[in-house]
Amino acid sequence: MDALTLELLNGLSLFATLAIVALGLGIVFGLMGIINLAHGEFVMIGAYVAYVTHANGLSHWLSLPLAAVVLFVLGACIEVGLIRRIHRRPEVTILATFGLSICLRQAVELIFTKDFRGVPNPVPGATRAFGVLFPTYRYVLIGIAVVVVVATLLAFTRSRFGLTVRAIVADRDLADASGVRTGIANFCAFGIGAATAGIAGALVAPLGAIEPQAGLAYLPGAFLVVIVGGFNRLWGVIAGALVVAAVQTGVIHFYDAVWAQIAALALAVLMLQLRRVPVEGATA
Amino acid sequence: MRFEAHGLRSGYGSVPVLHGISFGVAQGEIVALVGRNGAGKTTLVRTMIGLLRATGGQIRLDGADITRVPPSRRVRAGLRAAFQERSLFSQLSVGDNLRLSGLPAAEHGRVLAMFGESLAGREAQRAGTLSGGEQKMLTAASALASTASILLMDEPTEGLQPSNVELLGDALAVARQEGRGVLLVEQHLALALRLADRFIVLEKGEIVDTGTAGEAGLADRLSGRLAL
Repeated sequence: MDALTLELLNGLSLFATLAIVALGLGIVFGLMGIINLAHGEFVMIGAYVAYVTHANGLSHWLSLPLAAVVLFVLGACIEVGLIRRIHRRPEVTILATFGLSICLRQAVELIFTKDFRGVPNPVPGATRAFGVLFPTYRYVLIGIAVVVVVATLLAFTRSRFGLTVRAIVADRDLADASGVRTGIANFCAFGIGAATAGIAGALVAPLGAIEPQAGLAYLPGAFLVVIVGGFNRLWGVIAGALVVAAVQTGVIHFYDAVWAQIAALALAVLMLQLRRVPVEGATA
Repeated sequence: MRFEAHGLRSGYGSVPVLHGISFGVAQGEIVALVGRNGAGKTTLVRTMIGLLRATGGQIRLDGADITRVPPSRRVRAGLRAAFQERSLFSQLSVGDNLRLSGLPAAEHGRVLAMFGESLAGREAQRAGTLSGGEQKMLTAASALASTASILLMDEPTEGLQPSNVELLGDALAVARQEGRGVLLVEQHLALALRLADRFIVLEKGEIVDTGTAGEAGLADRLSGRLAL
């Protein structure tokens, strides 16, 4: 029973991590249709913001809003300088953001070198709950991730800003002809997508090594979540993260991590196959 | 406010459609733009709102050149277009479509009642699930309820039942009384003749005839132009 509880808590922690990492991709890729292969680097830079915050003797908790601001500015600059000019051409976007991801990794490497960095756990120790000991920081991570994800989703689905973004996604020309400032909405949406990735990076920073290649590990998982959760439906990020986390945790419990990755990939392929008809219908 | 086109040229890629169109719409008047299919009427509306780039000539709003101004700024300056097709966000609700038109929630009920009971109480319904005629009504109602000074109505009666065509005509007449200018792109000649102050006939991207309400023989002339 204790083993099952522990697996459930591990699954919950994985769900929270996947959800907050994939949230920005859900906005940028799922909602705006921009395939951003540099999303993992946004997470990595968020982790470096946590490192710099710690290195300057400041509280780890300060790094969360700092990462959001730094990544919002970076994301907004990238939207204006790069994405805005190519977003109607997906194949060019893929190449450009792939190049951007390399540039960001190299830039971070130039500043911080290839050395592994770390951030101490701001809430060390474990808490006994449901009959098992579980790292306290992971409880905190779950809580913060859920708050950030739900608040962002509400902002995108219930606010006037969210409505304008959904209108742009549905029909950019009609949105423009309805008086929607499409340029500003795209700028903000891309910035917010990057900001949530930054928060994710700062949040997971105490859990592993911080290095320039770290972002590469987050990208596949984020795409899996968005694919499984469904395009054009931001709340699908939660469903996608839940399903991917459940599948991975379950397969890890019975087999190992390699089979868990294979299972998650197979699930994504299956979802793409199942969605093929409605997606084509929507395009038509 | 006065809206003007001077020598306006436009088209799709390297295919020119409009060949130097000049006309104006002043506040408090309805100008009917008539012409057969393929005459360039929709191209003219899309160029005036800014969705198609003008390849020549000028578009002026109150004397200011807006030829290179993006559509969203033209809308905020007082222009508003109701398109013949793809005029609603079909994935969004009726209420969301009205919100995007700049209408506060308190006014939604009034706007939806503009064409009787058929749209009343359907704010939460997805706009794409409305019938073709209902979508036309919602498009026209959104435009008429906006605060725009100049309305560009592209075939607003297409697909509407006769009683709703009458209601639309009444609403357009009210818009004129309120001092708004309307460019009414219409093949429904009876409505155009009932409402319009001036007429422009478009053929193959050029203005081939103009007329004024009350002019002797105008109806026969316009019918002849459309029947050719």
